[in-house]
Amino acid sequence: MKNSVFKSTLCSMCKYPIILAGLINYTQAGILEEVSISSSGFIRLETAFSTSNDQNVSNQTGNPFNNVSISRQAYTPPALIPNISSVLGLPVPEVGTWSTLPLPAIDGTSPGIRNVESKESDINYGIIRGELDTKVNFNDKISLNARIRGVFTSPDLYETHFDASEFDSFQGGVSGGLSSLYHGESNYFEYRVEGNDKPNPLEIAGDNYLIDFPALFLEYNTGPWNFRLGNQQIAWGQTIFFRVFDVVNGLDLRRHSILDYAQEEFADERVPSISLRATWQATDNILLDGYIQKFQPSVFGNPNTPYNVIASQFTVHDRYDEQGLNDSLNFGLRAKGDYGNFGWQAMAVRRYNPDGVFRWSKSGVVKDLPNNLGTVGNLVNLAYAGTLDRQFASSGEALANSPFEVAPTGVCSATEYFYYAAESRLDGYNGLNAAIEEFEGPSELFASTVNTIEDAVAQLDTFFMAAGGCMRGHIQREYYREDVYGIGGSYVTSGEPGSIFDQMIINIEMSITPDRVFTNPSLSKKRIVEDAFVGALVAENYYRFTQNFPATYLVFQYMYRNADDLVGRSLEGYGASAPVGTPSPGDIQIPGGVNNAQYLAFAAQQPFPQDIVRLGFAVLYDVRGGILLQPGIRWKPSGDVTVEAFYTHIDGDLGGNPNENTLSTLDFADELTIRLGYQF
Amino acid sequence: MHIRKYDFNYGRRSLLKKAALGASAGVLAPLFPLIARADDPAKAYPEELTSIEMLTKGKVKVGDVINANNVEYVKDLMDPITYMQIKDMGRELELVAPITDASKLFGHDMFEATIKNAGKAGLDKDGNVIVAATGEPWIGGMPFPDAKSGLEATANLTLSWGRNNFSLYAIRDWDIDPEGNVTYQYDFPWAELNATARVGSDGPYLEGKKDYLRYQSVWFTAPNDVAGTSFLNTWHYDQRKFPNLVGYLPAFRRVRTFPTNQRFEPLVPGISFFLSDAWSAGDPMLTWGNYKIVERKPFLGAIGNNWDGKLENWEKPVHGGPKGQSFFRTRVQLIPEVLVVDAEPTGYPRAPVGKKRTYIDVRNQMVVDYVTYDRRGDAWRKGEPSFGQFVDGDKVFKDGSGNTAWSFTHVQFHDVQNNRISRFSQTKEITGGYKSRHYQGDEDVYNKYLTSAAMQRLGQV
Repeated sequence: MKNSVFKSTLCSMCKYPIILAGLINYTQAGILEEVSISSSGFIRLETAFSTSNDQNVSNQTGNPFNNVSISRQAYTPPALIPNISSVLGLPVPEVGTWSTLPLPAIDGTSPGIRNVESKESDINYGIIRGELDTKVNFNDKISLNARIRGVFTSPDLYETHFDASEFDSFQGGVSGGLSSLYHGESNYFEYRVEGNDKPNPLEIAGDNYLIDFPALFLEYNTGPWNFRLGNQQIAWGQTIFFRVFDVVNGLDLRRHSILDYAQEEFADERVPSISLRATWQATDNILLDGYIQKFQPSVFGNPNTPYNVIASQFTVHDRYDEQGLNDSLNFGLRAKGDYGNFGWQAMAVRRYNPDGVFRWSKSGVVKDLPNNLGTVGNLVNLAYAGTLDRQFASSGEALANSPFEVAPTGVCSATEYFYYAAESRLDGYNGLNAAIEEFEGPSELFASTVNTIEDAVAQLDTFFMAAGGCMRGHIQREYYREDVYGIGGSYVTSGEPGSIFDQMIINIEMSITPDRVFTNPSLSKKRIVEDAFVGALVAENYYRFTQNFPATYLVFQYMYRNADDLVGRSLEGYGASAPVGTPSPGDIQIPGGVNNAQYLAFAAQQPFPQDIVRLGFAVLYDVRGGILLQPGIRWKPSGDVTVEAFYTHIDGDLGGNPNENTLSTLDFADELTIRLGYQF
Repeated sequence: MHIRKYDFNYGRRSLLKKAALGASAGVLAPLFPLIARADDPAKAYPEELTSIEMLTKGKVKVGDVINANNVEYVKDLMDPITYMQIKDMGRELELVAPITDASKLFGHDMFEATIKNAGKAGLDKDGNVIVAATGEPWIGGMPFPDAKSGLEATANLTLSWGRNNFSLYAIRDWDIDPEGNVTYQYDFPWAELNATARVGSDGPYLEGKKDYLRYQSVWFTAPNDVAGTSFLNTWHYDQRKFPNLVGYLPAFRRVRTFPTNQRFEPLVPGISFFLSDAWSAGDPMLTWGNYKIVERKPFLGAIGNNWDGKLENWEKPVHGGPKGQSFFRTRVQLIPEVLVVDAEPTGYPRAPVGKKRTYIDVRNQMVVDYVTYDRRGDAWRKGEPSFGQFVDGDKVFKDGSGNTAWSFTHVQFHDVQNNRISRFSQTKEITGGYKSRHYQGDEDVYNKYLTSAAMQRLGQV
């Protein structure tokens, strides 16, 4: 703790002589007589040690296909079969499919071996964090609140640290997308979108550091009215972790993703946004809360960072700036009523969905298929050069008008393609057709839509071989407006004194978003539009199991979602599967979708006497076969020092298809997190 | 030569006898008429109950320091834990002369209202305090200035905790571990606003809030890890009901409703203070039961002379314990008669507390000491407040209406089973710029400190 009053604060600021001199001048002038300044902060080491051998498959070094021999076979594109038949006089039908006419193994690219080395890291996450809070009360109505947060990590901590430039000599290296994210070393913290390297104006970030302001706002209070202007976070609702009313801010997953101590909810994740918030205690019982906010999207982990969830064979083009959303506003209003044991709340929010929607995008990368004599790429190039009515000068230009880029670190086999489609809750089969149908480039290079998975595999492997190894996929992230309406009710029970049912707080919260836009699992531009319903029930209480320990805090929650999962992915992409290795097409399942997502959560906190030691436990269960378990302990041996440890175990394969539950995406993240904090 | 009118033990025998009878306070005369005239309360008692020197047969006198060397002489005038603190932990108490002007035992408005409304209070069939003639909620002042039962005495404590319509206490807390080290230190403002039982010109009730007794909030401003943690209790007038509790936890970034029936839990790490401890009447009084006056006796209590307004930030010197940090300097005076009230947590069958024993000064019906016992009957925790007018020599702190402020100056809690101590001092100012005050005036303190919106604002970090 620091300085409670202005004078003592001044002493702590002696190292800032210019500021100090300025403040003294103001004080002498009597301007700051009412001003009080207080500040405090902490420094904390946070380390998450991996306790399993599993690696994040979304990253290059965790790709299970690395150095795995995958048999590939190139085929004659159906569009070229008649030509070959007539020109060469081969005994093949004039009309065929992708699996009709295999090409001889002439280029040595089969079997395909993904030439990225798999690595294991003992540390999933390691940062040093510092935060400083300052509050300046100018008078009893106006104050300034500021919290600055700085985090720093070292790439040396991570065995899995990746450098794409090491592959510049393969297939011409990686060219597409933002250089800072895709062409070099893992970038742990920078948030970039196309056309704007500072989409969040109040943060400074580099590859290994991030400085931002979770709070930086002026506050004005008069009677029942309160106004806040500046960078801030707004959270609504009674449910914890389950976001029903908590729709105002997106999430920033760059640090510890959603794997912080569950009991802290999203304290470190909500994206602060420049906002004007007005709160009005309309009556003793009714509180109105409204805001206007600069739209700030959710921030996902960058490629090849520990908790990245977007397969790193994709290059993402974030269109936030190009859509002109830098200056776009979100609005919302919530009313909350409390009447003793009963309560209600209602909200209406007009916002851009901060998660965004993904679809195939033109790669824009002009890089020809390799033209070494006798290769599949050479054959395609020759065939395309001989096409009289071609639209593009070269295969490179055609690919620039497709969602694909000839590049290392991409997908190298059909099997890998379908495996990652399933992992990403996407539909690889229809995704291939969408990429061919919706862009001019692929069909120029003789790609064509397919009717069977067998043909999809044949076509994909043909093009991977034509590319001389692998191809990266390009997708874009766009944002859509939506209106979210919510209602909720609460009731505090009265039961037998001392029983668990006495003073239990029960809340039901529901929201509906008409015509919410979702990513089509095929990544088609024909996005899924569906009314999205989210409902949650939460019951919580304190209960004394023994007179020797303080009461245990218990909370139980249930969530139902009809259209998307806990992190906003359309449920239509659920249910696909593909094995690692060289499967037969029958082993590849396209997603069948699921009707709903349901989650159960239970959390408990048990303080010891004096609350110097506190145990915590949380479990999140996806009824389709995933579970997250997180026991933890917080020890506060003195006022300055806090030690926290929590173990996270995720099992996304409790039965059935792991791609039918949400948690399998983070299955790799079994880890022990330790935090050592010192506050001042 | 001083001629004694009564034998030496007359006063004590009389008090002992009265305890079982439900009689009025006072031995030689009823006490309350003297109080009402702002007279010297000592006139209601024989001299051995008003003079420490006489009571101890000259072993201890006003001006002395009670320490391990002389505590045996006053052992009967304190609870067993205080005795242990002095005998074994190096605690000392400074003896001052008893107050002779009864009005100085109160704040101005509280005193006026108590006199004005004396005799008007009653208990309804449920045990709630009402205006006997109308059945309306209480109209201010002590409802039972001459309490004759444990419930009446507890009602005096419960209906107006701080005995001002509004108080904002800028509290600094030090928490001492068994080795005597200050291991935790917290700053928190504590705001109270009575909705009913109000005194002074503001009327007995806040408009439209007759169903509530008080609004009370607390929010931590330091250190960093708890800063922003805030809670708002809305107390129903019906003392059978638990307060409504909403809170702002920084991790959640929003105000949420919390269960309120667990009242024996530490609010923050290291602190030896429970919600139930406030004024030894931290729970709605009808959620406890079996109130009983078990004894009337003289007692040493800190009921004045303890405001150190001349010291930096009003923070008191400390002493005692292994590191000289365990206890505030405290000045006590001989109280001729306290009620010793026992109560049991009948509404909390799983509570760790089995019994609470409260020592109440009959002159102003204020708690001067209390001890809780665990379910086995062993002494567990002690709370020892100090009250008084805010006068330190020529330095006086006014309450905003021009009257001398009256409030608590400090309070100490001691968990003797874990040997942990928490010391609260009402200070001039704490982190965040919050200053102690005891007057509402024209300020909209309700919206500023005591609503859900206020919790959101005050809790923000």
